[in-house]
Amino acid sequence: MLKRFVLAVGTLALLAMPAAAAKTYSHSKYFEHYEGTKTCLKCHMKEAKEFFHSQHYQWEGAAPQIVNSHGEKLGKRNTINDFCTNPMANWIGLVRNSRGEILTKGCSKCHAGLGKIPTAEMSREQLENIDCLICHASGYRRDLYKAEDGTLEWRPILWKNQVGLDSVSKRISLPKRAMCLRCHSGSGGGPNFKRGDLEYELADTNAQFDVHMGTDGADMQCIDCHAGQDHRVRGRGADLSGTDMPNARLRCDNDDCHGSAPHQAEILNHHTSRVYCTTCHIPDFAKKDATDMVRDWSKPFYHEAADKYSATITMGKDVIPAYAWYNGTTWEQLPKEPVTRLADGSVGMMVPQGSRKDPNARICAFKLHRGKMPVLKGKNWIIPIVVEEFFADGNIDKAVKNAAKDFYGIDDAQYEWIDTTRYMGIFHEVQPAKNALQCLDCHGPNGRLDWKALGYPGDPMLAMLKSSH
Amino acid sequence: MRLTTKIVTVVTVAVAALALTGLATAKDKAPSGRELYKEYCKPCHTADSPNGEYTPMTLIQDQWTEFFTKNYERTHKNVVDPKHDNAKVLELITPDMLKKIQKFAVDHAADSEHPMTCG
Repeated sequence: MLKRFVLAVGTLALLAMPAAAAKTYSHSKYFEHYEGTKTCLKCHMKEAKEFFHSQHYQWEGAAPQIVNSHGEKLGKRNTINDFCTNPMANWIGLVRNSRGEILTKGCSKCHAGLGKIPTAEMSREQLENIDCLICHASGYRRDLYKAEDGTLEWRPILWKNQVGLDSVSKRISLPKRAMCLRCHSGSGGGPNFKRGDLEYELADTNAQFDVHMGTDGADMQCIDCHAGQDHRVRGRGADLSGTDMPNARLRCDNDDCHGSAPHQAEILNHHTSRVYCTTCHIPDFAKKDATDMVRDWSKPFYHEAADKYSATITMGKDVIPAYAWYNGTTWEQLPKEPVTRLADGSVGMMVPQGSRKDPNARICAFKLHRGKMPVLKGKNWIIPIVVEEFFADGNIDKAVKNAAKDFYGIDDAQYEWIDTTRYMGIFHEVQPAKNALQCLDCHGPNGRLDWKALGYPGDPMLAMLKSSH
Repeated sequence: MRLTTKIVTVVTVAVAALALTGLATAKDKAPSGRELYKEYCKPCHTADSPNGEYTPMTLIQDQWTEFFTKNYERTHKNVVDPKHDNAKVLELITPDMLKKIQKFAVDHAADSEHPMTCG
């Protein structure tokens, strides 16, 4: 029986895969000189207004999948994470080390705006703050410059070269992999630090690395799955707070992708109601660039070569995912709420919901990120960290206290350090079918699933075999 | 042989060996495009230079290609390099060196995947 299982596992048919169409729309006939976003707005006011309300601009939005959101809008701006914690105190700025070298320019480096903090109210100024080119012009690059009034703003690095800027700004296309990955791979402070399954390698890779994005595979662009409507993006993994399209859940088994019975072997299709595709088809992640697995903010670490401080970070490569039930909703440790601890005593920053008894839940693959974060004594609130200055001076006490003042308005905060755990869904770097997990990878004596933690008395296949004899 | 003489001999041989090794290494390691740019281009094209500031990311790839294929010789025919005994730039920078400099500039142009200055 086991042998039949082993022989049967490992065939995922990639059905009806849409071919990548990196559509380009040369704008050479639409304008002569690019003069900033106002050039785009002449024709694309409707699109700008749509984008203004999106997650990519607002960095917060409706969060119905966060079970404790209480109807509030959530996002990067008003929540705290265990990577760079919160962008608002770190929005924009030039931080230099003792040698005068620039260490960091702020979290807005990856905001699709030109430096101003997004507001709830739409205005001409805010619409002109949208940086259309960062997502739509492949050759566009920007840097931080001081404006005439002394404020900092993101500008095209070609701002002094109008001919070059005109050329680049007319090369308009739908976002290509490389354009999305410039921000989404670099988040968390370095290549693949944060997500684990979103590596720069995916910009130009092969099907062995990722069957969907490999150029010799389906060669799909990010937007082939994630594009929604009106500049809204589909998909939220498991640890995104606000969501652009909460009612358009992105799943492998959508009918226009793989469907609910994608395997030739019936025994494999029998698994799909309880085991999500990623569990078997992403046996490991962080295959080229290591990913941040543990970030301990309580222990500043000095990087001599860069003359820079960071948290003490433990990296992992070729990481085997953690597995948990997930029904599409998440519990989030929110600010101004006393911390809630998991069974291991750590604070769950993002915890997928679901259980064996939940018919909507399936076993999914996760990156389990652990951290050490400051908690306000008395109230037990998580505190963010003003990371930018900390990178230069390594003074973590000052960075925590400044953050408590900025975020909560509390002077001279007294705090302690607590362990944190974040579940991050792993959905990319899907392997060719021949590399998928085999029966014994889960059901063998040293299987990777912790059945008891998943709510089973033991391996359910052994129980089934026993009952059939 | 007296002890002092022995020590002097050993040290001399060691120093000579190290020097030869260093020379061999230096000879084996030809300068990169970036090093050449820094050595021969940057000194005359810094910020506020009357010749204009140029780093790879000052121009886009097409502009660099056009410059090296059409304009470099014309614009540099009378230029001498004060850093290298006022040698004529067109003679100082060999075709191989120029090729490397061009590749560095194009690979790190403003519209490349990794725009950069030369440090």
